[in-house]
Amino acid sequence: MFVCFWLVFRMVSPAIALAFIPFLLTLIIRYRHYFLLFYRTVIVRKIQDYLTGITREERAFQYLITHAIPGDPDSILSAFDQWCYHVEYLSNVGPVKGKILDRLIYENAPINVLELGTHCGYSSIRIAKALPLGARLYTVEMDERNAVLAEKIFRLAGFDDDIIELIVSPSDEVIPQFKETYGVDKLDFVFMDHWKRCYLKDLQLLEEYDLLQEGTIILADNVLFPGAPHFLQYVKNCGKYQHKIHRGHLEYFKSIKDGMAELVFMGL
Amino acid sequence: KPTKKGKPRNIKGRGGSESEEEEEEEEEERNYRGGRGRRGNVTAANKKGARRKDSGSEEETPKTQKNRKNEKSKKNDSDEDDKADGRQKGRNGRKKADSEDEAGKKNNTKGKKENLKQNSDTAGSSDEEAITEEELEKLKEDVEEKKKLISTLRNKPWLMNRKLELLKEAQEFVEKFEGVLGKGKGRRFYAYKVMMTKKWLKFQRDFENFKSSCIPWEMKIKEIESHFGSSVASYFIFLRWMYGINMILFGLTFGLVMIPEVLMGKPYGTMPRKTVPRGEQDNAMNFATLWDFGGYAQYSVLFYGYYNNQRSIGWLRFRLPLSYFLVGVGTIAYSFMVVIRTMAGNANEEGGGDDTSFNFSWKIFTSWDYLIGNPETADNKFASITTSFKESILEEQESRKEENIHLTRFLRVLANFLVLCCLAGSGYLIYFVVRRSQKFALEGLERYGWWERNEVNMVMSLLGMFCPTLFDVISALENYHPRIALRWQLGRIFALFLGNLYTFIIALMDEINLKLEEEKVVRYNMTIWEASLYNGTLAENATAPPIEVDPADVPRGPCWETMVGQEFVRLTVSDTMTTYITILIGDFLRAVFVRFFNHCWCWDLEYGFPSYSEFDISGNVLGLIFNQGMIWMGAFYAPCLPAINVLRLHTSMYLQCWAVMCCNVPHERVFKASRSNNFYMAMLLFILFLSTLPAVYTIVSIPPSFDCGPFSGKIRMFDVIQETLENDFPAWFGKVFSYASNPGLILPFILLMVLGIYYLQATSKTYKAANLELKKKLQSQAEENKKQNKKGAVKKNEFEEPPPTNQSKQQQSAQDNGGEKKDNKNMGGSEAEKKTANQLGTSPSQTPMANSGVNGVPPPINRGARLAAPPRLAVTRPPGPRGYPMPGHLPGQPRFPGPRMPRGPAPYR
Repeated sequence: MFVCFWLVFRMVSPAIALAFIPFLLTLIIRYRHYFLLFYRTVIVRKIQDYLTGITREERAFQYLITHAIPGDPDSILSAFDQWCYHVEYLSNVGPVKGKILDRLIYENAPINVLELGTHCGYSSIRIAKALPLGARLYTVEMDERNAVLAEKIFRLAGFDDDIIELIVSPSDEVIPQFKETYGVDKLDFVFMDHWKRCYLKDLQLLEEYDLLQEGTIILADNVLFPGAPHFLQYVKNCGKYQHKIHRGHLEYFKSIKDGMAELVFMGL
Repeated sequence: KPTKKGKPRNIKGRGGSESEEEEEEEEEERNYRGGRGRRGNVTAANKKGARRKDSGSEEETPKTQKNRKNEKSKKNDSDEDDKADGRQKGRNGRKKADSEDEAGKKNNTKGKKENLKQNSDTAGSSDEEAITEEELEKLKEDVEEKKKLISTLRNKPWLMNRKLELLKEAQEFVEKFEGVLGKGKGRRFYAYKVMMTKKWLKFQRDFENFKSSCIPWEMKIKEIESHFGSSVASYFIFLRWMYGINMILFGLTFGLVMIPEVLMGKPYGTMPRKTVPRGEQDNAMNFATLWDFGGYAQYSVLFYGYYNNQRSIGWLRFRLPLSYFLVGVGTIAYSFMVVIRTMAGNANEEGGGDDTSFNFSWKIFTSWDYLIGNPETADNKFASITTSFKESILEEQESRKEENIHLTRFLRVLANFLVLCCLAGSGYLIYFVVRRSQKFALEGLERYGWWERNEVNMVMSLLGMFCPTLFDVISALENYHPRIALRWQLGRIFALFLGNLYTFIIALMDEINLKLEEEKVVRYNMTIWEASLYNGTLAENATAPPIEVDPADVPRGPCWETMVGQEFVRLTVSDTMTTYITILIGDFLRAVFVRFFNHCWCWDLEYGFPSYSEFDISGNVLGLIFNQGMIWMGAFYAPCLPAINVLRLHTSMYLQCWAVMCCNVPHERVFKASRSNNFYMAMLLFILFLSTLPAVYTIVSIPPSFDCGPFSGKIRMFDVIQETLENDFPAWFGKVFSYASNPGLILPFILLMVLGIYYLQATSKTYKAANLELKKKLQSQAEENKKQNKKGAVKKNEFEEPPPTNQSKQQQSAQDNGGEKKDNKNMGGSEAEKKTANQLGTSPSQTPMANSGVNGVPPPINRGARLAAPPRLAVTRPPGPRGYPMPGHLPGQPRFPGPRMPRGPAPYR
C-alpha cells in the first residue's frame, strides 16, 4: 500500500499521490483494530520468539507458574486472561465467550464432552470446571509441544486423567476411531476451537461415525472472525441442526466482532 | 307465481358451507326441471317425483341439517322478519306443490325444502317472465340490503372466513340481480348502465395502472425502496427529478439554439470561427483531441465560439443571438422557479406538529397493501415493512437514550476539528495544483505528459472521492442519530465540494484574464495582418473586392468563452467517468471478490473485513447537486452541456440501480429520509445561487471575444437586448422600457416585492399555527372517543350475547346509515337508544359494536359501489419470513439471512 503510494508520488505526480492520503487515512482508521490485532498476534510474537527463544505458549506457562495459584482453576483462568490482555495475545475462548460456554455446560450437564483444539488448555479448564460429577472431557490437540504444556497446565489446575483425557493427534484421525478407543457411544457436547477450516470436515466426520445423538450440542468458536463460512452454510442448509449464533467480540479485542455457533443435533 | 319471492331470502339463508351449497344447486337443477315438467310435461314430473321418492330417505338427514343451518344463518343475519316472511311463503309454495306435485307431499320437511328451492329457481329463470311490481320492489330492497351488507361488512364482529363468504355471496347476488331490475326496455337500459359502470370502473383502474407505469423507473425505485429503505430511494427519486429538469433544459437549448444554428446558420467552413485552424487540422479528428473536446468538437455547434453574430438567420429570420441570450437566462430562471416551487410543495407536506403519537399502531395496522397481487411484490412489500419497522424502532430507541454528555461533546468538537483540518488540507492541495498547472500552462503544455495536464481534474476527483469516506470515518466519533449524522456529513462534503469548485473557478478566472490579455495582442496583430493583406492587393488593383482567404488561415483570438465551456464539459465528463469507475471498482469488483473468494479465504469476507459496500447516499446526492451546479455554470458557454448531463443522468440511473441491487447491502442502521428531501432542495438552491454568481459575473462584466460567439462585436453580452429593442420594436416600446428600467421605478418595485414576501410569510405562519391547533383538537377528541368506546365495551361485556334479532339489525343499519352523519359526541344519544333497545327486549350487543365501527375506524368509502371482481382474487397475505435459498447473504438483500441477526445492538457488546 505504502509502496504504491510512494511509486505514485515519484512516478506520476506528487499532487495526485497526496490526493490519496485521505483514502489511506480512511483505511487506517476504519481497520485500526485489525492492524492492532496483526501487530499483537504476529509482530510482537515474532519479536518475543526471537528474544526469548521459546514459544508463545511456553511464555504463557511461565507466567502462569509465577502468577497463578496451583489447584485453583479460577485463578489459572484469570492469570491467562491477564497475560492475554496485557502481555501477549493467545487465541483462547476468552472470558466473555467463555461465560456462554460455562452456561451451556451448566445447563445441559453433559457426560461425554469432546473438545477439538486444546491449545493451552484454557477452554478445557473452563469446561472441566463446570462439568458435573462423573463426566469426562476428551480434548484433542494436534501439536505435541502444546499438548505437553496443556497437560502440565491441567495438572496445575488440579484436574487428573479421569476428568480430562488429552489426545495428541489430528482431529480427523481421532474421530473415526473414537468409539473403539474410548468406548464412548454418543457424545453429549462438542466444542470446536481448532483450525477453522476443519470445522466442516470434522462435523461431517462426527455425523458419519454416528457420534451424535439427538440433543447433542455442538459449540463452534470464531465462526465470524476469522470465520468458517462453509461450516455455517452447511449448518444452515442441511437441516439436521437447530442453530443459533451467539454474537460477541473476538477474545481480548472488544471492537472486532465475532460469534459462537451453537448447534443442537436434531437427529436425521 | 308468488313463489318467486322466496328466492332472495333463500340465497341469503345460505350461510352454510360451500359443499352443501353445491349439493343444493344440484338439487335446484333437478327441481327446476321438475318445475318445468309440472307446467309442460306431467309424465316427466312424475318421473322426477319417483326419483325423488327413491332418494328421499337417504337425503333426509342432510336436508334437516341444512334446514337447521339455514335457520341459524338467518338468525345470524338477524333477519327475523324476513325469515318469517320466507316461511310463510314457503308454506304457500308448499300448498301449491301439494296440490300439483304429489311426490312432494311425501315428506313434510322435504317438501318444504323443495319448495324453497323451487322458489329460488323460478326466480332465477325470471328473465323470461314478467315480474310484478311487488316482486320488483322486494328484489330491489334485497339488492340494496346486499349492497349495504357489503359496505358494512368490515365493521361486523364476525370471523374472517364468514365475512369473506358472505361478501362473495352478496356480490354474486348483486351482480346477478342488479341487471334484472327495471322492466322491458328500461330493464335492458339498466343492465346496460350497470355494465357500463363496471366497464368504466375497470377502465379507470387500468388507467391508474397505466399512469403509474408511465412514471419512469417507478418499479425500479420501488424495488430499491423495499430493500434499502426510503433514504436510498429518496436519492433515486431525486435523481429522477433532476433528470426531468435537465430534459427541459436540454429541450430549451437544443430546440432554440442548437437546431436553428445547424439548420439555418452558415455551414461549417464558411467563416474563421466555424473552421478548424490550419495548425490544428492534422490531429483535429484524433480521438484524444476529440475526447478533450478540442479539434472538430471545439469548432462545432457544441460550443459558444461556433455561433455567428448575424442578427437573424434563415427564412424564419430567427434572431439567434437574442435567443441564445434568452435561453441562457431562461435556463437559470426556470431552474430557480422549479426548485423554489418544489421546496414550497415539500414544506406544505410537512404540515407541522408531531405525527408520531401513534406511530407503531399506524405501522402495525395499516402498512400491508391488500391490493398487491404479485407474490414478488408482496415479498418486496414485506421486506419494506420490516425495514420501516426497524427504522421506527431505532428512532424510538434513539429518543430514549441517555449518554455521557461531556464525552460526546468533546468527541464532537474533536471530530469537527479533524474535519476542518481535512478541508484545509484539501483546499491547499487544490490551490497548489492549480498554481502548478498555471506554471505548466505558461511554459507550454506540450512539454508535459497526460498526468500533468489532467492533474487538476484528477486531484479534484480523487479528493471528492476519498474525503467523504474520511469524513464518514471521523463522524463515527460523534455518535449522532443517523439522520443527523447524514446532515453533518452532507454539510461537510458540501463545504469540500464548494471549496473545490470555487478554487477551480478562481483558477478559471485567472485564465480568462490571461486570455483577455492575449486577445488584445491578437487584435493588434490582426490589424497589422489585415493591413498587410490589403496593402499587397492595393498595389495591384485598388478596386478589386477584398481577397478571399481560406478561413482556416485567418488568425484568430483565443475565445475565452469556448475555453470556459470546454473546461466545464471536461470536468463533467471526468466527473462522470470517476463516478462510474468508482462504482465498477469500489462496488462491483469488490462484491465479486467478496462473493466468490469467500469460499477459499481464511476469514469470512462477507461479514468481516472488506464486506459489501453500502450505498453512499450523501456522497451521491452531493455529487449530483454539484454536477448540476457545473451544468448551470457552464451551460451558457457550452450549449451541449445539458445534453451531456441528460445522457449522464440516464446512464447513471440504470447503472446505479443495477449496482445498488447487485452489489450493495442496506445500511447497518436503516433510517427514514422523511424530511431530508427539502434539505436536498435547499442545498440545490444554494448551489444554484452560487453557480449563477460566476456565470452572471462573466456575462455582465467581461467583454465578449471579438471574433467568436453570437455576441462578438458588442461591448457587453446583454447589449443584444438593447439592440433588439431598438431594431425590432416600435420606438415607444423602447422608451417605455427605458423609463421602466430607471432606478426610481425599480427600487419601489423591489420594496413592494419584499413587503409582499414578508406578508405572505406572516400569513403562512399563522396558518401553520392554526393547523397545529386543529390537529391538537382532533387528537383530544379522538382520545375522548376512545374513552367512551371503552366504557361502551365494558357495558357490552356485562350483557350476554343472545342471538341478534331483527330490531337490532334494523337499528344497526339505521346507525350505519345515519351514524356517519351523527357526530361522535352523540354518544349519549346512542346510549339512550341502547336503553330503548333493552326495554324492547332486544340485544344491545350490536349497538356499541356498530358505534365503535363508526367512531373508531372510518367506514370504507365506496365499498358499496364495488362491482368489480370480488376482492378475494386480489387479496394477498403477508408472506412469512423469506427463506434464503442461497448460502451466505446476497448483495441487495438485507444482510442477515438465517441465524444472523442485524448487525446493530448485539447482546454481548
